[in-house]
Amino acid sequence: MSPSKIAVDEALTRKVATLARLELSDSEVSTFTAQLEKILGYVESIQELEVQGVEPLLSPLAAKTAFREDEILPALAGREGQPKVLEAAGEIIDGGYKVPPVL
Amino acid sequence: MTQTLRTIREVHDAFDQKRLSPMELTREYLRAIGASRHNAFLTVCEERALGQAKVAEALLAREGRVPRERLPLLGVPLAIKDNLVIDSIRTTCASRILENYVPPYTATCVARLEAAGAVTLGKTSLDEFAMGGSNENSAFGPVLHPTHPDRVPGGSSGGSATAVGAGLCVAALGSDTGGSIRLPASYCGVVGVKPTYGGVSRYGLVAFASSLDQVGPMANSVEDAALLLEVMGGHDPRDSTSAVAAATPARDALGEPDWRGLRIGVPEEFFVEGLAPEVERATRAALSWFEKEGAKLVPVRLPHAKHSVAVYYLIAVSEASSNLARFDGVRYGTRPSGEERDLAAFYRKARAGFGAEVKRRIILGTFALSSGYAEAYYRRACQVRRLIKDDFDRAFEKVDLIAGPVSPGTAFKLGEKLTDPLRMYLNDIFTIPANLAGLPALSVPNGKDAHGLPIGLQLLAPQFGEARLLGAAHAFEKGRA
Amino acid sequence: MHPEFEAVIGLEVHAQLSTQSKIFCGCRARLADGTSVADAAVNSNTCPVCAGHPGALPVLNRRVVEYALRAGLATNCRIRTTNVFARKNYFYPDLPKGYQLSQYEEPICEGGYLDVAVSETETKRVRLQRIHMEEDAGKSVHFPGYSLVNLNRAGVPLIEIVSAPDLSTPAEAGAYLRSLHAIVTALGICDGNMQEGNFRCDANVSVRPRGARELGTRTEIKNVNSFRFVEKAIEYEIARQIQLVKGGGKVVQETRTYDSDRNLTLSMRSKEEAEDYRYFPDPDLLPVLLEEAWIEEIRRGLPELPEQKKARFIRDFGIAPADAAILVGSRELADFCEATIAELSRSGMEPRAAGKPAANWLVGELRRLANEQGLEVSQSCLTPGHLADVVRLTQEQVISGQGAKTVIAEAWRTGETIASIVDAQGLRQVSDTGALVPAIDKVIAANPKQVAEFKAGKEKLLGFFVGQVMKETGGKANPALVGDLVRKRLK
Repeated sequence: MSPSKIAVDEALTRKVATLARLELSDSEVSTFTAQLEKILGYVESIQELEVQGVEPLLSPLAAKTAFREDEILPALAGREGQPKVLEAAGEIIDGGYKVPPVL
Repeated sequence: MTQTLRTIREVHDAFDQKRLSPMELTREYLRAIGASRHNAFLTVCEERALGQAKVAEALLAREGRVPRERLPLLGVPLAIKDNLVIDSIRTTCASRILENYVPPYTATCVARLEAAGAVTLGKTSLDEFAMGGSNENSAFGPVLHPTHPDRVPGGSSGGSATAVGAGLCVAALGSDTGGSIRLPASYCGVVGVKPTYGGVSRYGLVAFASSLDQVGPMANSVEDAALLLEVMGGHDPRDSTSAVAAATPARDALGEPDWRGLRIGVPEEFFVEGLAPEVERATRAALSWFEKEGAKLVPVRLPHAKHSVAVYYLIAVSEASSNLARFDGVRYGTRPSGEERDLAAFYRKARAGFGAEVKRRIILGTFALSSGYAEAYYRRACQVRRLIKDDFDRAFEKVDLIAGPVSPGTAFKLGEKLTDPLRMYLNDIFTIPANLAGLPALSVPNGKDAHGLPIGLQLLAPQFGEARLLGAAHAFEKGRA
Repeated sequence: MHPEFEAVIGLEVHAQLSTQSKIFCGCRARLADGTSVADAAVNSNTCPVCAGHPGALPVLNRRVVEYALRAGLATNCRIRTTNVFARKNYFYPDLPKGYQLSQYEEPICEGGYLDVAVSETETKRVRLQRIHMEEDAGKSVHFPGYSLVNLNRAGVPLIEIVSAPDLSTPAEAGAYLRSLHAIVTALGICDGNMQEGNFRCDANVSVRPRGARELGTRTEIKNVNSFRFVEKAIEYEIARQIQLVKGGGKVVQETRTYDSDRNLTLSMRSKEEAEDYRYFPDPDLLPVLLEEAWIEEIRRGLPELPEQKKARFIRDFGIAPADAAILVGSRELADFCEATIAELSRSGMEPRAAGKPAANWLVGELRRLANEQGLEVSQSCLTPGHLADVVRLTQEQVISGQGAKTVIAEAWRTGETIASIVDAQGLRQVSDTGALVPAIDKVIAANPKQVAEFKAGKEKLLGFFVGQVMKETGGKANPALVGDLVRKRLK
């Protein structure tokens, strides 16, 4: 693929925004599209490098993942015994996080 | 008083000599923060700070003097960047989306500092989610430079840099993904250290780019930075990317370096067009100082360093686009107020709380990972990242440290680069390579320019080479004073 | 089987691993009684990690890796000694981080196979493409106008076992699924309760003209929760696709759901709406590196697998192949059978003599009772000791076959000893010659015509006499003994 042929247009910006669940105003779409084009133009330089056979570096730490042992840790209790993680939630009904109808 | 007590050593000496008590010191800092117009703090946790100071005071009364080995931070007032969570203290990441988020747990690094006796004064401002280099991207207004209020303090740890530089705390924590500790440290004339990737636990650091983020200290002296690093560093079983190998206790390395054995690499790629003449002069002068002390200067090449900004922006935004997916308004964070009829609308409303720079990066990152483009952007960037790291590995076969500027210029004016994201990104050109390669790097004050704006000197070391890095910086700091 | 079309079926099985804690945090993976954590108080089993709070990080549970390795080694997979967790990015309220941690390009196991008995005599080799580790999502409960999200299940460890499209009939798919189920339960890595969602199956189904090489467009049937429904769903889907293709239509690549009440599959979403998952290696988890020594240790510690056990049951216990297949299909039935045989061996019975009757009772009566009451055999009061006593008493003709069934039902319910049940219900067969002679004499006296015919050689009438004596003794006589006595009497 030759990414230099990527047409950065407003449709692309809108498509990506939808994937990311972001709502953009028309003016944001036009600003972002221009900026995206400029930034992609800048990063174009790496396309010319010879990288065949180069293993991607995903973490600078040359190590393997550590394991934890299979042990249960007690939950964090918050006020009135309700789980502490729930205290930050906007709306809880019967212990569940309320969201719009999912189906 | 606080203006004269700039370091931990000075604070502890004052405690030992009963010139000042932990409660008095904490109250004085809280007063200074209250009177400051720098907008450095987003949350001041007075209650927590006074509680901790009280405990410190009681301990001190019992012990007679500071037990520096056991509680090396006893009664020392610190500021914490607001992307590190503290149980029951609001954490905003300078974002509207987390305006009222009160986390249920504490970051490992903060917990370790507090366990060593530290007093947490409050949470400092940053570019939203640590995305930015000027601290202008905070949803709660820009932070002002400690001495030049028309200038930026640098970012993203601008609040912490200003807090340290303006005497609003003894030391602070920042985080550095592409230079976010070193750049504001250099702009504000303080010491800032980005440790080796994996050196300090990321548990409790709200992620921007997981493979690049590191927590590090910002302080008025290299010695203080080393102490903070020593207290909070080391393996954390809650962070899979936290290194098991323990770094050398940093303070042990602060004696006089063995200058004759020291080889300092000077990459030609760090002296390029666009580097402000005054910054270049200061950097060359620092190099000469090292040479005069007996170190050997060795030209090194980092041929792929010029791709750093491109590689960094692709990788950082890709990881960020995924890391920021959890902000959906369901479990925490700003929540759409109306009765949203469907999920898509709910998400759009909840995520409207992100600022422009964050949105821009999420979009770029989502694009770089998306089907059809991931190979050419995300994956290729990771390949070039390896080439950049290989350059450093080769350079460090010949040298012990690498030296260069932190930033092409000094603190710029508020608003100066806001409209051009790419220009802002290019400001990170000298700091980004250390993040890509996971290297420890720091900024130590290196004089001022004609406006009186601080210039920073950057030193880099091989992974887990903090001891030598801090030792050289400490000697430089003393020798140039 | 359709004369013109053939089906191509591949199955994706999600097996919840029966670890103590979740895959990346210390919350519970299952409740103490083995039921799903989803049933605990809503969101009580969550923490900053599995609820996806900012700054929280995953740390991999060693036992999850061990269990995935057991599954891979038991199914002849290659083990990737470097395997990688990736992020599968999509938005859904029950997915707290906005991505699922799963394995994508570099799963822990690849390229295995399973030899599945598709009939009494035939075995089919079904290839496995991969087995990978991943985290389960939470659950949403729906109400008019809103839904509630419960994250108790989020982060429960799963392995996904993906077969090659090697299956061609619903029955084969069912046999494969049962075989896989037997393996994961025998390995002790999965509770295997399909109703609880421990063992879930998605089926990929396509059809093509018989003999064609190219695959047809496939549909995916999601989350069918019983073996029988999987077979029925596939059967329906094959018929639907054939009808569609024959009518000149085209199969649409889509996800479908099975409605068991109406026995049909329904479209959920088509491929066009499919998400772009933007997989990339999770930077919070470094690669999983496995040491050969550990893999070998796990390999050595593997328990006997169902197929091996079946062969041993046939060889050592003389159990019929069909019965052996049923027994090894359930770890608890197989264990029950072995324990019964062990009891009988202790009292001097040869395993080969003990095996057959023990298996018969288990496969027949005990399974019938279990089905009838919706219980597992182990949930009843009946023990292997009880069954051994039943086998022994039947063998010794102390109780009749009919009596044995009564005894079993009672022991199943109450757990009383077999001897006390036999006595209490008066089920002991009369095997005392002295006690039977009067009854036999009475029957002979009352049936002179039949006596004459028998003496003349009409052997078949023996059954008539035995029946009459049984009637006379109220069914308690030992029929074999009665037969012998009648024969002697009339010689």
